[in-house]
Amino acid sequence: MVAVFAAAFFPAPVRAAAAADEEGLKFFHDRIEPVLQRECYECHSSQAKKLKAGLHLDSKAGMLAGGESGAALAPGDGQSLILQALRHENNLEMPPDRPQLAPDIIADFEQWVKRGAPDSRVDAPPPPLDPKRDPAQARLTFWAFQPVKKPELPAVKDAGWAAGNPIDRFVLAKLEEHGLKPAPAASRTELVRRVYLDVTGLPPSPEEVQAFLADSAPDAYEKLVNRLLANPHYGEQMARDWLDVVRYAESEGFEYDRHLPEAWRFRDYVINAFNRDKPFDRFLTEQLAGDEIAPGDPECEAAAVFHRLGTVRRNAGNLEIAVSRNEVLIERTDLIRASMLGLTMGCARCHDHKFDPILQKDYYRLQAYLSETQENDILLVSAEEKKDGETRTKAITDQMRKVRKAKDAAEGEEKKKLDGELDALEDQLPPYPATIPGIKDDPAQRTEIHVLKRGDWEKKGDLVAPRPPSVLVSDDLPELPADTPNPRAQLAKWLTDPKHPLTPRVAVNRIWQHHFGAGLVRTTNDFGQNGERPSHPELLDWLAYQFVASGWSQKAVHRAILLSNTYRQSSQNEQAEAAANADPENRLVWHVARRRLAAEEIRDSMLAISGQLNAKIGGPSVMIPVDPDLTKFLYKPSQWSVTKDQAEFNRRSIYLMAKRNLHLPFMETFDQPDLLSSCGRRESSTHAPQALEMMNGKLANDEATALAARLTREAGADHGKVVDRAYWLVTGRAPTTEERRLSLAYLQDQPLKEFALVMFNLNAFLYAP
Amino acid sequence: MHPDAHEHARLTRTRREFLRDACCGFGGLAFAAMLNAQSLRGAPAVVANPLAPKLPPLPAKAKSVIFLFMAGGPSHVETFDPKPLLNELSGQPRPKEFGEAKYQFIQSTAKLLGTKRTFKKYGQSGIEVSDLFPRLGANCADEMAVIRSCYGNSVVHSAAQYELFSGRVVPGAPSMGSWITYGLGSESDSLPSYVVMPDPDGALPGGQPMYSQGFLPAIYQPTMFRPTAKPVLNLDLPPGVSLKERREALDLLHHLNETARDAHDEEFSARMNAYDLAFRMQTEAPEVLDLSKEPQETLDLYGVGVEPTNDYGRRCLMARKLVEKGVRFVCVVSGGGSGKLTWDGHDDIEENHLRMASQTDQPMAGLLQDLKRRGLLDSTLVLWGGEFGRSPEAESGKGRDHHNLGFSMWLAGGGVKGGQVVGATDAIGLQAIDRPYHLRDVHTTILNQLGLDQNKLTYPHLGRNERLTFVEGKVIKEIV
Repeated sequence: MVAVFAAAFFPAPVRAAAAADEEGLKFFHDRIEPVLQRECYECHSSQAKKLKAGLHLDSKAGMLAGGESGAALAPGDGQSLILQALRHENNLEMPPDRPQLAPDIIADFEQWVKRGAPDSRVDAPPPPLDPKRDPAQARLTFWAFQPVKKPELPAVKDAGWAAGNPIDRFVLAKLEEHGLKPAPAASRTELVRRVYLDVTGLPPSPEEVQAFLADSAPDAYEKLVNRLLANPHYGEQMARDWLDVVRYAESEGFEYDRHLPEAWRFRDYVINAFNRDKPFDRFLTEQLAGDEIAPGDPECEAAAVFHRLGTVRRNAGNLEIAVSRNEVLIERTDLIRASMLGLTMGCARCHDHKFDPILQKDYYRLQAYLSETQENDILLVSAEEKKDGETRTKAITDQMRKVRKAKDAAEGEEKKKLDGELDALEDQLPPYPATIPGIKDDPAQRTEIHVLKRGDWEKKGDLVAPRPPSVLVSDDLPELPADTPNPRAQLAKWLTDPKHPLTPRVAVNRIWQHHFGAGLVRTTNDFGQNGERPSHPELLDWLAYQFVASGWSQKAVHRAILLSNTYRQSSQNEQAEAAANADPENRLVWHVARRRLAAEEIRDSMLAISGQLNAKIGGPSVMIPVDPDLTKFLYKPSQWSVTKDQAEFNRRSIYLMAKRNLHLPFMETFDQPDLLSSCGRRESSTHAPQALEMMNGKLANDEATALAARLTREAGADHGKVVDRAYWLVTGRAPTTEERRLSLAYLQDQPLKEFALVMFNLNAFLYAP
Repeated sequence: MHPDAHEHARLTRTRREFLRDACCGFGGLAFAAMLNAQSLRGAPAVVANPLAPKLPPLPAKAKSVIFLFMAGGPSHVETFDPKPLLNELSGQPRPKEFGEAKYQFIQSTAKLLGTKRTFKKYGQSGIEVSDLFPRLGANCADEMAVIRSCYGNSVVHSAAQYELFSGRVVPGAPSMGSWITYGLGSESDSLPSYVVMPDPDGALPGGQPMYSQGFLPAIYQPTMFRPTAKPVLNLDLPPGVSLKERREALDLLHHLNETARDAHDEEFSARMNAYDLAFRMQTEAPEVLDLSKEPQETLDLYGVGVEPTNDYGRRCLMARKLVEKGVRFVCVVSGGGSGKLTWDGHDDIEENHLRMASQTDQPMAGLLQDLKRRGLLDSTLVLWGGEFGRSPEAESGKGRDHHNLGFSMWLAGGGVKGGQVVGATDAIGLQAIDRPYHLRDVHTTILNQLGLDQNKLTYPHLGRNERLTFVEGKVIKEIV
């Protein structure tokens, strides 16, 4: 970038002079070139074993083009990077790990640059162009940047298995190519449990299982799928995935970890969007630019909370606001890249991407779409109501102060009484006026976006304006004006173009991952060079094509997958040994592997099975009682203000407060992500603290106690009936003879609560079949 | 596990190979059994126990790390970096030739503040230590390598604490404890591999994310020891349940799982192993955590049982017992709760540092002495320091503000050449001028002592192979 700038700034005369500068060329040959050869070529030339920083110093072109830190040389400029590095300025030290070169050598280089950097290496080869790093070339060749094409259905041998659903044709073709067969169909008992858990995150009740088993209609399963997709718990279950991707949390992190009390409206927005099958292009647009496309519309305002979900450092003291602003813009733009574009560009913050054809300039151009985006707290009550609330708050807190004073002086009973008074007063405090943490464009406060050298805020390079990444648009597309109106709506429009090669592919891949545990591209947030190649490129395109053709309907994609024979395979395949050797990671989907339930699913399922679940949908987040050791380590322990209504404690996990500096231990142990950066794919670990949590933890034991009570209530004292009921409730099937025998023997002299706890620890409970 | 993360977590190919690795190849199963190679509904391919001890790729001197974290930022000019000129210039504005500094609170017009501390040369090496740490000086000076030229990028607690632990000024990157556990696994099968012992006084600005595994798998998360008699969560049986009853319940669980087991599903076996390990932790870990059987002489060495050293002494002693059992990384935090209860001496540096040092001097000296006499100091790297130092200028008359441009840390044991001072700040302690070492360089040095290569210990995250040292750090060659 600097090179381009410099070339424009020092036009022809410098070069002409350099060409004619015989003395300068001799100077170069005698004093400069030998030093370059001796000190630099080892790492920065075509002969380098391992080229460092992408920098070639063995040709003038290479020096001008520069490497990761920008141009090494700007003829005539005494601040050229190569000089800074030789002088050990700005944390640059070259050659590295060696004493600084002698002062007279450095002086030679300064003199050489000053006279225009004459260079006698006429035959020097230009630095080779890496096709991986050339946007124009990658646009034509790299799979993920090619337009989505409607693929032909491949031919298969076992046409019967793949007759009903194109998905099966693509999967079967690959299996046959590798000499593998699909697994047999899962039993109906397994299937009903799998599809309930996948689609709603809750297990089927025994009655629901039995109803399905009793339905002999040929379309019984299809009806079930349709019913589940229409179930409001579908939205809760699918919202979980998206909330992970957008690192949803309701507090700002860093020391204050300030709460955003109305951020739950975003969570509800997402749940509703899934339940109503809001077209996905609209879904993205409202999150990116809800405030621009429909100002004042509550739904769009809630959607745009998207931009406020990141961490924010709010410090006192005399620190530069611009630094925090830069941090926020980086965080917000990185999220858009990972969640929507599926093209992480982290490296390009500091230099042109090493592996991807992403220019450093592209990184900042995307950021420029947010240059006018500022916080906009939207008051949900009228100004009078707000004022009234403040007046009442003041009156009550004044009163509390007096009582506290009296309490300090009081003792014994009197002190207790005053404590009670304080609690009563606190209860009377009006709630903080509801405020949506929204955003708006504020042209007056637009941040100038510069390319930052090495990503360093203090090293500003060229000014840039909004433009999509070069790899996805034609070379002659100009930047938008920096003050273009509704910049985020324009970004959304580009992202949701039906012809966009990435957006639909990235979206359907996330849906595939939901049902099979791994995407067709397993790096769901990264479709770039560093990401994986798809296991079934044609299938991915078919899904993406259908997705856009269906009007961006996510439910349509879910339905197609759920109705496929691929999805309905058993977890067991008789060729398992051979298949596992050929394809140990099940990339070809030769069976549907069991999956361990996610943290939320385990908790929600225990609540549902014990009969304690409060299935209410939506509303403010719940703070459940936690170990005082946890709140003690908050900046302000009072931030964790336990929800008053105890019935709320048994809400589904998606409604539990997502606080960055206080993770619920149960959730964390079962791999809930850290809420700090986009999580496209959860880990599923197996370790001893999970066993401790499930055997000794409070939640598991509370729910086991409730389940024991339910079993007594519903099955009485007859152990045979208790065991049957327990298996139906917890695993969705009857116990086998052996299971019944073992259980009955145990119950002869062991407590029912411990039996209930064992049930929650069964693999048959913790895994979806 | 991330599909690209093969460098440190090899996928096992066959069931036979899996069994060999799980049961024999790594010398038995460790604390956290296994991690499924696939997230959620993946294939039955299994990664052999990711916490099994791994041989470091490079020659290693240390096996464990104890970080004595002085939260809030101890003053370098009051501890290990004597500045006579600062006393001479006390009350005057900073002379221009020393350059500029940006502070969080005080303005550029602030006046320099001398120190009341006196320094003494200790040991054969003659390292200067202030009268805040008489025991440390008298007993341990020759073990310590004091780096007087540390610097970092942030002058704000939270950001600086994130940088101290993870090399980044924003939360979300893994802490050094998690990286090290990721690189080396754990040598203990009944204890967690990465332990943080927070100060019972309460929270720090960096909060929970400071210690966390960030984008690494949850298996590398820290175990926070609670400041109670039962430090590890869920290690105790629920009320009213006897150990015998629990054994019966676990037996039933085993039998029921076994009858329904699919012979091809290794993860089921892994999960059943996790229950066995949990049971073992439950019975063995409390012994390690129990200090009541320690000889009186040891308790006295750490200052356990007397104030003001009791609390930090207990935690330092527990740290020794943990590394003895193969725990990889232990962080013992001094300071928590409101700023005044940390080393954050804004108002009165005298009062603050006298109080904080009186709680920690004897426990730290006791720890180093105890490690040494047990032959553990050679394999245990001890790191001392805070997220930054403090300003040469006064704040509110007799306090000092945060200061990140030059401050002191020290390392001992773990192959570090003790008895030396490395680097220097200028004559008033403002900037690191001789051989400045960034926090990243400290990280690099720690990895180096553990036999880990900063460039190879990577994990792919959002399109970049991330590492603890972010871009790159230097080994502090003088001390290794």
